Amino acid sequence: MDRREFLKRSLAMSVGGAALLVPGSVKRVFAASGKLPGLAAVRGGEPGAMFDRGVAALGGLERFVKKGQTVVLKPNMSWDVPPELAANTNPELVERIVKRCLEAGASKVYAFDHTCDLWRNCYVNSGIESAVKRAGGIVSPAEASRYYQKVSIAGAKSLKEPSVHELLLECDVFINVPVLKHHGGAGITMGMKNLMGTVWNRRELHSKGLHQCIADLSLFRKPDLTVIDAYRVMTRNGPRGTSERDVTVMKAQILSTDIVAGDTAGARIFGIDPQNVGHIRIGADQGAGTMDLDSVGVERIAL
Amino acid sequence: MTTRKRAGGVRKTRSLLSLIVLAIFIFFFLFFAGESGGGLPWFQAVPASLRWWGGGILLAASAILAGRVYCSVLCPLGTLQELIWRSGRRPRSYVRPSVLRYWILGGVLLSAGVGYMLPLAGFDPYAAFGRGITHLLRPIVLGGNNLLATALEERGTYSLLHRIAQPSLLPELVLGTALFFTLLAFWAFFRGRPFCDAICPVGTFLGLFSAAPLASIRYEGEKCVSCGMCETVCPEGCISAAERRIETDRCVLCLRCLEKCPAGALRFGLAAVNEGLGRRRVLRSGLGALAAFAVFLRAKRPDGTIPAAAASWDERLPISPPGSRSHGNFTEKCVACTACVSACPAGIIRSSLTAWGAKGIFQPELDFSRGYCQFGCVACSLACPTGAIEPLLLEEKQKIAVGKARFLQRNCIVRKYGQACGACSEHCPTQAVRMIPFRGELTIPEVDTSLCLGCGACEYACPETPKAITVSGIAVHGRIREREEEDGKGPVVAPLEEFPF
Repeated sequence: MDRREFLKRSLAMSVGGAALLVPGSVKRVFAASGKLPGLAAVRGGEPGAMFDRGVAALGGLERFVKKGQTVVLKPNMSWDVPPELAANTNPELVERIVKRCLEAGASKVYAFDHTCDLWRNCYVNSGIESAVKRAGGIVSPAEASRYYQKVSIAGAKSLKEPSVHELLLECDVFINVPVLKHHGGAGITMGMKNLMGTVWNRRELHSKGLHQCIADLSLFRKPDLTVIDAYRVMTRNGPRGTSERDVTVMKAQILSTDIVAGDTAGARIFGIDPQNVGHIRIGADQGAGTMDLDSVGVERIAL
Repeated sequence: MTTRKRAGGVRKTRSLLSLIVLAIFIFFFLFFAGESGGGLPWFQAVPASLRWWGGGILLAASAILAGRVYCSVLCPLGTLQELIWRSGRRPRSYVRPSVLRYWILGGVLLSAGVGYMLPLAGFDPYAAFGRGITHLLRPIVLGGNNLLATALEERGTYSLLHRIAQPSLLPELVLGTALFFTLLAFWAFFRGRPFCDAICPVGTFLGLFSAAPLASIRYEGEKCVSCGMCETVCPEGCISAAERRIETDRCVLCLRCLEKCPAGALRFGLAAVNEGLGRRRVLRSGLGALAAFAVFLRAKRPDGTIPAAAASWDERLPISPPGSRSHGNFTEKCVACTACVSACPAGIIRSSLTAWGAKGIFQPELDFSRGYCQFGCVACSLACPTGAIEPLLLEEKQKIAVGKARFLQRNCIVRKYGQACGACSEHCPTQAVRMIPFRGELTIPEVDTSLCLGCGACEYACPETPKAITVSGIAVHGRIREREEEDGKGPVVAPLEEFPF
């Protein structure tokens, strides 16, 4: 970055910051400069409110969801635990996203996860099934092999031909809604790791090298938007957690058009150097996204 | 005619009651076994006598009062046989009482008394009925449900029906159960309720107290016209029309004779005062008292299980469900009714063939090949009516260890291939399996057995063959240690102050 570019960016940022003081003006400002930010980081609000502000900063949900399109959400609801334990995505956030997608004209909004614990218990006790239904969305099962179709991933090194949930293949818009948490095996889990719940044979990812497989999977269907829930963050004993003591209430959220950039920002919030997280590093190398946040364009919002 | 009409009404009421009980048991074993504790199964003869010392005494008292009234309405296997028989309406005639039944009762009491449950499990009508539903009917019903759920989903209707996981069943046991029910169905079609008459240890036990019950069916005065109708409609073959005699220790009070008697010569009523006790009856009452005492002692039998765990990687002890306290308590109280098998939403409780040895055929064990014991579930403990698995609160269950995980590093992916994994630790609800630093960025599992529940999540999740982490049972269930929450309760509240990027 040379000095001129630095000055330009600083100027743009201060304009953006000033624009934030006037709600709803972000879109206009960035539209005027010709480029919308690719990543919005929000802190200090409730999950639903943070999503609304974040997505407005990215240019509004209309940027991602057009009238009549089908939308698939992939929340993390892998564990049969209540929302307070933060092992699953915040149900309030999921509810808000479903609601906004339908308001933006989506014809159908689905949510699913290939769970670890028994799927019925996970769907119900995570609070996500009822949240999706309240907002008017559809909760799809993902517990039977008949939902999955074999695909081949171009550019993959280890996970070349996984079977992937058919909703992921059929949908117009794919919104990835992970929760930020500690993970005993992968170190940390967010957007890229969350994609594991779209695959039938989860074990294959473990046996073929976890980080490489996660990075490979991120090449397949890049989410149009990744919303990382960091409202409650499990900072240890992840990914399942043992008690509320494992949880830190951080009240943050990251919305990113680039899955690798989102995970990079998430890792920083968690307090880990993203360079030390294998799948983020490999993902960037393989072209699933970029770890260079500046090149994506970051919008920072405090509520 | 009015007495006949009334008798018909009473008979129909009794049939309706017994059919309702039958339906409840069918639905219990199909769908609702794990929903809530208590209910009808707890009032079945054998489960009640195993769980509570007064069970046998209460049964005996009911027989002294009104004969085998228990068999009349409360036994699902009896009603099932009667239904099969009625479908053909084969006429019956008097048969001499079987002597075999006393040997069976004696054998069952003796073997159960020393903790050998196979004969009791085999002959208990409630348990036999349960096995039939779980092994024969339930797979078909679940298959149908799952097809329907899938068809609905394909039409865009979600969450009206959900697919239910089929439990793993051993083909040998399905075949055995099918054989038992085929034979029973043929026998019942021609002979009414032959199991109840010639074999059933519960019926025989009740019969010991029913030689002269206070209330029973009897011939009234000289109204009888010797048409023999009563004898032909008796599913037990316990009426001799020629001798105008009803053997009350075999009569299951189906009330068909009462309804069909054209002369109104039969009546359900109190015994006359002058009906004294003959010598044989005194003998039978003595035997009955002995049997009741044996049942009482059985319920009081202490649990003498010696604590034991697997000594090596190659040895693997079976795992009994949480709430069963010990292998001794479990195998000496379980009659293999399979209520827990049906209750388990994960489908990991399986009737065993060899896990508990020859004395425990059909008694269930946990099988982690298709899933693991769910941390937030106590369904099996609610389902069990015998006390082999005692009811648990969730917070109790989450502290009970039924087995211990063993980690064999040389089988582990992390060590073998130098790849990150951690699937076992990921699934561990107590973090008894945690990841500790290995080489470079890599972490490798470590097991803290004092926190291990033996739930099998790690074993199921391990992607490697052979498994690097497996669970073996422990003979006496334990409690995991309290996790020290040195830093208080509740989450840390530390909202992000600024973005670190």
